[in-house]
Amino acid sequence: MVKKEHAPVLISSSDQSLVLSSLEHDQLARAKRHFIPRRHLKGPELLVLWSLRIYLLFMMAVVGYQVWVAVR
Amino acid sequence: MPPQNDPAMSVGSQSPPTTRIANGDEVVIITHEDVDRAHDRVRVSAARAQRGFLSHARLLWLLVGPGVLVMLGENDGPSMLSYAATGAKFGVGFFIPFVALTFCMAIVVQEMTVRLGAATHRGHAELIFDRFGPFWGWFSMIDLAIGNFLTLITEFIAIRAGMGFFGVRPWVAILIAFVILYAALMSHRYWTWERITLAAAVFNLVFIPVALMTHPNWHSVGHALITWQPLPGFNKDTLLIVLADIGATVTPWMLFFQQSATVDKGMTRKDIHFGRFDTALGAALATAAAVATILATAPLFAHQMTADNFQAAEFAQALQPLIGRFGASLFALGMVEAGIVAAITISTSSAYAFGEVTHKPHSLNLPMGEGKSFYAVLSLCAMAAAAIVLIPGLPLVYVVLVVNVVAVLAMPPALVFLFMLVNDKEVMGDLVNPLWANIVSTGVVFLLTGAGVLFGVSIVAPNIFAALGGK
Repeated sequence: MVKKEHAPVLISSSDQSLVLSSLEHDQLARAKRHFIPRRHLKGPELLVLWSLRIYLLFMMAVVGYQVWVAVR
Repeated sequence: MPPQNDPAMSVGSQSPPTTRIANGDEVVIITHEDVDRAHDRVRVSAARAQRGFLSHARLLWLLVGPGVLVMLGENDGPSMLSYAATGAKFGVGFFIPFVALTFCMAIVVQEMTVRLGAATHRGHAELIFDRFGPFWGWFSMIDLAIGNFLTLITEFIAIRAGMGFFGVRPWVAILIAFVILYAALMSHRYWTWERITLAAAVFNLVFIPVALMTHPNWHSVGHALITWQPLPGFNKDTLLIVLADIGATVTPWMLFFQQSATVDKGMTRKDIHFGRFDTALGAALATAAAVATILATAPLFAHQMTADNFQAAEFAQALQPLIGRFGASLFALGMVEAGIVAAITISTSSAYAFGEVTHKPHSLNLPMGEGKSFYAVLSLCAMAAAAIVLIPGLPLVYVVLVVNVVAVLAMPPALVFLFMLVNDKEVMGDLVNPLWANIVSTGVVFLLTGAGVLFGVSIVAPNIFAALGGK
């Protein structure tokens, strides 16, 4: 499938050399389209992430309960 | 020759993006955003190339921004109202050094976002999505989106209430806030946006003259700073204020905003020292404004005036007999400023995060035509929050305290993602977290989680506090 791209913006040659001399390669806007390699999460990391997710959901329910009590 | 990346870092070691043109040559793809950023970097390089105090001062002037903005931006409507409620409920005592401590925590945490941004040139949301996958990425984004939206509502409440002190109608107050927000955006230059927002943010220090007008007892302030006394009673109300004050200094949007702003500003590894100074300077200014707000409302505690139902404008009205109309007006204006600056920074953080996860252009250097989705998300977030605020009869003080509590509760999961990223050698190279930073930041996670659990216990089983000697 061909992805529709915006028409390229005209950049003067002096601006081009300015960009190339003053920005690092990965600072260029188009360079950010490259994905950073995915990292495999280990068991203990998943345990911490899930524990905190459950903690957050539980605490949000507590806040909801408090708001409900206050409104009543 | 383009500057070379550090070989220790895999993420930043890619070659420039190129495309093949009609004659078969490969050309580097450069956008308008890149040109604007390059102009900013040329000024930084020129200042760095020179020696002497003035050049150093100029370099500092060019590189400060994200840190001061994030810290003064976090001294927002709900935060200043939390500090005002703290002063009015507890006076001068435990909470003065406690607030200073929370800002020290904020420095440790925010410094990591400077390193992440400078090392990877990627935003926080983008890194979480790419590195840990969309499953965890979306959790993180949902936390951010809900937190940001709730907080944005309270910013407009603060603006409405602060301007209400001067008899300005709510819709006019909201309109004025939008004029300022768009005045900063319309330049389509990160640098101009940053300077306009910084100029507005410095007005946060208006709480200092207000505090001076109340003639604080400096002996009591010094005593409180050294001894952390008098201690407040151990009960549900105290816990709510503790959580609200923590939530007034460390919140998830700050992580996302400062990293994205560091990237948008074009900061590199060479600039990290200045990024640290920027963060510490912002924290010092924000601490001064926060402590000043507590001192400003402490006389309400001394006069035994209850603060339970005070809104932003009502704090100013309550202070008027003590500090006069001018002082009360400054207090109300301070609330307006706090709301406006935070509305700008928080809506920008939402727009950055949206652009990062959808891989759509996301920069304040983008012209409107190239950054339609970025500016649309920014505007829609602000407009939706503002529209809700125009609904009459919202219970302001309770809403803002709850918003800060929600921010504290959402912080531990956000911090764990931050620690995993900042300890990731493949991403950070030689800029991984040192041991001491890991120890301090782990302590911050435990403190925040513990405070959240205590808050939960106080709601679910309030009698436990009575049994422990509280009320």
